[in-house]
Amino acid sequence: MDDIDPLNLVVVDDDEEVRTALRRLLRSMGHAVRVFGSAEEYEALPVLADCLIVDLRLPGLNGFELRDRLRLRGSAIPIVFITGDGGPSPGDTTAQGGTESLAKPFDDSELIAAITRAVSAKHESAH
Amino acid sequence: MPATTNRQLAVRLAVSRALARTRDLDGVYSAALDALAECLDVSRASVLLFDPDGVLRFKAYRGLSSEYRAAVQGHSPWTPDSVDPEPLLVPDVRCEPSLQEYLPVFAGERIAAMAFIPLVSLGRVIGKFMLYYHSPHAFDDEEVQLAAVIAAAVAFAVERVRADEVAHRVEASSGFEPSAAAIGTWEWEVSSGVDRNERGDGLPSGTLRQVRQCNVESSRDCMKILDLDGRLIYINRAGLERLGVEDARDLLHRPLVDLWQEREREALGDAIARAKTGAIGRFQGPCRTPAGIMKWWDMVIMPIVDTSGAIVQFLAVSRDVSAPWQAEAFQAGQHQVLAMIATGAPLAQVLTLLVHLVEDQCEGMLCSVLLLDTDGVHVRLAAAPSLPDEYVRRIDGQPLGPRVGSRATVMQVGRPVIVTDVVCDCDPQWDVLRDAAMASGLRACWSTPILSTHKKVLGSFAMHCRTPRGPSREELRLIETAADLAGAAIDHHRSQEALRQSEERNRAILRAIPDWMFVMSSDGVFLDYHVKNPEDLLVPPEAFLGKSMHEVLPTWLADAHQRSFERALATDEPERLEYSLESQQERRFYEACIVRCDSDRLLSITRDITDRKRAELDAAAQRQELAHLNRVLMLAEQSGALAHELSQPLAAILSNAQAARRLLDHHPVDLDELRATLDDVIKNDKRAGAVIHRLRELLKKSNTVLQPLDLNEVTREALDLTRSDLLLRRMPITTALSPGIPPVLGDRVQLQQVILNLVFNACDAMSTVDPAERELTLTTVADDEFVQIAIADRGAGIPDGQLDSVFEPFVTHRPQGLGLGLTISRSIVLAHRGRIQAENNADRGATFRCFLPVATGQHG
Repeated sequence: MDDIDPLNLVVVDDDEEVRTALRRLLRSMGHAVRVFGSAEEYEALPVLADCLIVDLRLPGLNGFELRDRLRLRGSAIPIVFITGDGGPSPGDTTAQGGTESLAKPFDDSELIAAITRAVSAKHESAH
Repeated sequence: MPATTNRQLAVRLAVSRALARTRDLDGVYSAALDALAECLDVSRASVLLFDPDGVLRFKAYRGLSSEYRAAVQGHSPWTPDSVDPEPLLVPDVRCEPSLQEYLPVFAGERIAAMAFIPLVSLGRVIGKFMLYYHSPHAFDDEEVQLAAVIAAAVAFAVERVRADEVAHRVEASSGFEPSAAAIGTWEWEVSSGVDRNERGDGLPSGTLRQVRQCNVESSRDCMKILDLDGRLIYINRAGLERLGVEDARDLLHRPLVDLWQEREREALGDAIARAKTGAIGRFQGPCRTPAGIMKWWDMVIMPIVDTSGAIVQFLAVSRDVSAPWQAEAFQAGQHQVLAMIATGAPLAQVLTLLVHLVEDQCEGMLCSVLLLDTDGVHVRLAAAPSLPDEYVRRIDGQPLGPRVGSRATVMQVGRPVIVTDVVCDCDPQWDVLRDAAMASGLRACWSTPILSTHKKVLGSFAMHCRTPRGPSREELRLIETAADLAGAAIDHHRSQEALRQSEERNRAILRAIPDWMFVMSSDGVFLDYHVKNPEDLLVPPEAFLGKSMHEVLPTWLADAHQRSFERALATDEPERLEYSLESQQERRFYEACIVRCDSDRLLSITRDITDRKRAELDAAAQRQELAHLNRVLMLAEQSGALAHELSQPLAAILSNAQAARRLLDHHPVDLDELRATLDDVIKNDKRAGAVIHRLRELLKKSNTVLQPLDLNEVTREALDLTRSDLLLRRMPITTALSPGIPPVLGDRVQLQQVILNLVFNACDAMSTVDPAERELTLTTVADDEFVQIAIADRGAGIPDGQLDSVFEPFVTHRPQGLGLGLTISRSIVLAHRGRIQAENNADRGATFRCFLPVATGQHG
């Protein structure tokens, strides 16, 4: 179920350990991954991606603020939020305006599922 | 302060004895210089007396060159007319204007300081003695008083010896002393005698011409003629007077020995027997006059021969030698009085002895001592063994006033008052007493004040006389001496009394206080103790008295005491020592306060503080409970942040582990990547473990553990727990931790708790501030005594007047808080012997500062 087509993914997390682990995990699945330590760093270099995996709790702009700014600029890029302090429950998309959300620690299958849902949701809305 | 010290008394007794042994002036001077050297430790001194021309002359000196004596000869601060001069003390001759002209002389003689002590007799200066010092000298009261004591004794001795010398000169010129040669030439002239029956009181018929020539009748001495059986056949007028007999016929034809006491009769018989052989018989002995006065007689018995050379009668010349005998008796009596004073005999006994002593010196005189009550108003009769009761009753207890006799007046004016005749004296002072005095046959009254060494009036000494007259110079001197002795006695008595009362007070205090007291030598031997209930002691007194504390106490406790002793002796400050001891049933706590009590002894005041200590421990336990509750609540508030702290490493672990499993499926397996992945798993697991460890530390209920801590490290650990939370709350945090600050003695968890409380407090204060303007700054600095951590915010600051109340309990603005964070922080800091304070910043926000004492070496 987790064998999906290779995607271009971006991870934004201020915790270097989490960044490194996610990059390693996603690469082992065959995806291309770029990582950033903050929303500002990503905004400074907004690479094209199929999905953003963003930590909610970030220094400076937080995850929600980054999403809002992207949407304001007209970007419909799929986003999966990850959060370390409970936060919104997985799959609760309405509260975050249709955004996927995962509580750390999460299983790789949950992550792939969330990414898949986010990407396909974008495609559905686009069609 | 005690007016007459035992030392002064001892000096007085010693000087008085030394002076009494001397018979000439040189002996007096020598004794005076000895006394100065011994009592005042002055090796250079001199005695000078006024000569008849009023010039002070050196009479004796030690350590002075002839040049010096010549140079200062004639200099005197006083004249013979000076009245009651005070000693002149010159601590530094360079600073004394009146001595400037002598400075070169002093320099040559190496004299830097000196004292002029006047020798005063009957209020007049007769001379002085001088003390000389090599270097400037600060005179103390004790020295000056001792000098005055010696001066008084020396002046008295000088006057006494001078009077004796005058008496001897008079005697020598009268040429009385009978010689055997002269006696041998006396002959009877029987034919020219006058019949004694015709003359009645004249010489027997056939009186010797030579006897007549001796002017027998007018002689001052008692002359008797005895028949060969020793019977009295003639006595001259002086003899009758001396014996107090009016009619010679009462005595005639009685054996002479009958007039003497039993024990003197043998010696008298021997003297007569010797005269019978043609030699001169002589003996001395005491005999009471018919009036009852004890006299000392020197009797010479010589044979009277007729022309044929046969012994027909004896001439007995007895001379009253009581005067010199009395002087000696008076000296001895004074010694006895001084000895009684020194040995603490009751004051009434001492004064009564003194009165008897003076009365024995002056026939017919009645003496009394009046004391001024300590109220300064009433007079009390202290001694008047010979005064009539009626008179005594009228004086005793009278208030001091102008109408109660001269003896009370004397105390008011502080100088002698001589009333030569109470009848003629129209002074109203005698109004009250005149009748009583008259009724008692007292006509004259001479009083002198009794003064303390500080010239305070203590009472009066009075002599009463049955005939109206003034005192002789001799009598005045007696009164003065008696008043002086009485002053010493009263002074001493009062100082002893004050001492006794103070001791009694101390004993009462001792009885009242529950503390244990131990007097210890500086090397820790128990010398004495005071314990209200000895059964409370862990060890009975006999088990520790005389023993070293190292034998009695556990080694650690004895060592601790020894250290406290050394500090108390070195600093002269009280030392406190707290310790606990295990007895059979329980552990008890003690606090010892150790003070130095003299040069090498210490007083340890020990108190059982078990109850207080237990209350303190209970309070500490409650404080710890509360602190724990605060930590739990604090962590509950921070649960989001804590979850984040844990979920980050757990997420990294899980993702790394799942990546590793996928890496194993790749061909070929990238072993380097796999190894790095597993390393990261381990690292993040440890990271999660550390978070849990810190959580457990904060949540655990533990006793305070004091250890030397780096406050910078404690601050970093505290911030690690909350950093992500602060980030989320948009609280930018800045730290300025001074490197190399000294360690503080503290409990790690409690100090972290304080820092977190203050950080959260600062965050709350800034919650309504625009995130761009928020700033949280932690600073550490240190000085020699304290390490300070300051937590500054940019909030609204603390309202006026609430800078102190912010530390009060239940003052809170946080909905979840108990309002105890700052209160608990303060109690923690105080328990660390530190302090915490709040202040508003100059621009905006508040700063909380904790000061924690630098850990000293002994704890580290």
